Amino acid sequence: MEKQKDEKSGNEKLRQMSCEFNSLSRCDGSVMYSQGATIVIAAVIGPVETKTQNLCIDGSYLECNYRPKAGLPQVKERIREAAIRDVLELALLSESYPRSKMSVQVQELEDRGSMDACALNASCLAMLIGGLPMKYSFAAVHCIINEKGEIVLDPDLSEMQHQRASFTFAFDSVEGNLLLIQTKGSFKIAEFNDIECLCRAASAQIFEFYRSHLANYHGRASKETATTPMEET
Amino acid sequence: MFLNSNLFEPGKSKLERNFVQVLTKQNNRLDGRSADDFRDVELTFGAEWGIVALTVGQTRVLAEVTCEIDAPTSARPNEGALFLNVDIDGVSFLDEVQTTHDQRVLALNSLLERTFRSSRCLDLESLCIASEQHVWYVRVNVKVLNHDGNLYDACTTAALAALMHFRRPDVTYNDKQIRTYSEKERELVPMLFLHYPVSVTYCVYKSSSKPVVDPTLLEENAADSVIVLSFNSYQELCTLNAGGSAPTTAHIIMQCARNASRRCKSMVQFIRKALALDTERRQAKQPVGLLELMRSTMPKITYNRLMNEESDVPVTNNEPVSNMATVATPQHQEPQNMIKEQRKQNKQEPVTPMDDSTWLPSTDEVKDKDNPKLKIKETLPQVKETRPKGSNNNRGKGKGGKNQKPKRTESDSEEETKPVI
Repeated sequence: MEKQKDEKSGNEKLRQMSCEFNSLSRCDGSVMYSQGATIVIAAVIGPVETKTQNLCIDGSYLECNYRPKAGLPQVKERIREAAIRDVLELALLSESYPRSKMSVQVQELEDRGSMDACALNASCLAMLIGGLPMKYSFAAVHCIINEKGEIVLDPDLSEMQHQRASFTFAFDSVEGNLLLIQTKGSFKIAEFNDIECLCRAASAQIFEFYRSHLANYHGRASKETATTPMEET
Repeated sequence: MFLNSNLFEPGKSKLERNFVQVLTKQNNRLDGRSADDFRDVELTFGAEWGIVALTVGQTRVLAEVTCEIDAPTSARPNEGALFLNVDIDGVSFLDEVQTTHDQRVLALNSLLERTFRSSRCLDLESLCIASEQHVWYVRVNVKVLNHDGNLYDACTTAALAALMHFRRPDVTYNDKQIRTYSEKERELVPMLFLHYPVSVTYCVYKSSSKPVVDPTLLEENAADSVIVLSFNSYQELCTLNAGGSAPTTAHIIMQCARNASRRCKSMVQFIRKALALDTERRQAKQPVGLLELMRSTMPKITYNRLMNEESDVPVTNNEPVSNMATVATPQHQEPQNMIKEQRKQNKQEPVTPMDDSTWLPSTDEVKDKDNPKLKIKETLPQVKETRPKGSNNNRGKGKGGKNQKPKRTESDSEEETKPVI
């Protein structure tokens, strides 16, 4: 696996990831997460009291907000918010806290490509650090096909300007099932399958990143997990 | 269940309020600062122009400046406009009662409005492209990421830093056509300022006569009254916002004002230095951007680091003091504070030639005038910071006038700068 990665061209690598846990004091869990130059802050609060109109007797109500850097959320942000909510609803073990509310807030700080995937990963990390019950964690990967027909994994802003098709996949950590597919543009089914395999492999790296950083944060860093392969590159 | 989620906020319960009252009476603060110590301020500039993240203790705000070309209003056909907005719906205000939320938004927005718009800090005429046809509209959006007290100062400082950092594209107007130049064609144009206002916040408690500067959320919520003063770098008063139920004398307000004016001046100096450092880093092609919030490959741009390099006056002895405060007994401390105050007064007298004598005779009248007002206020304790818009505003203006009288000579300096610009 490691060797294969080294052989891969620069296009098929994830950008460097980094995160900082609980940087905000007024919520149950928060994370500042970056992939390349794209930065988001995600924060969770829960379980808390809910309004009666949202009350659900057999599970908790999930509130999810995505906020752009400036101004009010527009259609684009609403779509992103809906995607995050869909994935979170699948992953959240809502039955454990009926009649309560879980709230997830994602704040964009800088958008330099692959914002959807970043927001999803950040919200997953925030849920984990906030200690909200989940069936599984998840990782999202963004990938594009550029005009030359090359596949670019986790593109930045300049690479995204020349795209023919763009894909966002989210996988769960237990069985590797697909939780979300977002595609845009034209592509062949064979290309789609290739990209899915590529993204699945990349998601393993992201899970490894979660694991090592959470272990670090909780002071149980073992030697193997102390440095991720990503940070060496 | 929890009908009043205000209880979740530190400083809203009676026990906490009493605790803070007792603490200030003993001249102590929970985080070990003395009453006139500020928390350290950290600035991080974004990769694009006009984006600033500011951290004061645990309080975090993000300010962004944008601009667009539009038709001017008919009342002021040759002036652009500045719009300010504070957004506190973010990650820090998940659970809050609607009324307190609205009050906060109102208080913050009105403070920014008065500090920047009413004081006319930007040269709006420079934002005009073609009179009656095209002007620049500049928008400042402040996002509160985390609230741990003193949002007032955090928002004004972040907004000012973002405005000073911002650059707009150059345009020309020929044959009724606007041509906007990209960054590669022509250098971007910074904003033109007439003066640089920043605010300083004080909390006043009934138990103590000494106001507490730069409050944390606990201190702010437990305070009997909050005083917000905005000064510009010429040490002229731009905003005074004093409300609440603590009986405040003119003496205390004047003392606050004097300290605040000095702080504001050095704050603006700090922002200037930070901007210089930022351009230095940009020219050296070193990494800039909000990523520095997490990675810290470069040394952070903080107030204490930048301002203590040459000047020894500000809060250098922050840590020793805090250690003393936690260890020392009150008896030990009082003489220390006395000495400190005396020193400060000694320092003040040469710095500020306008002194008690010019306004003290009138204080008795002011006191008499103020007292009925204060009594009325005491009967309405729930009305807090947002109220000053009405009656207190007028009071603020009165004070402002008085305050500025002796400074006439200084205020001229602003007019002098105009033709230069």
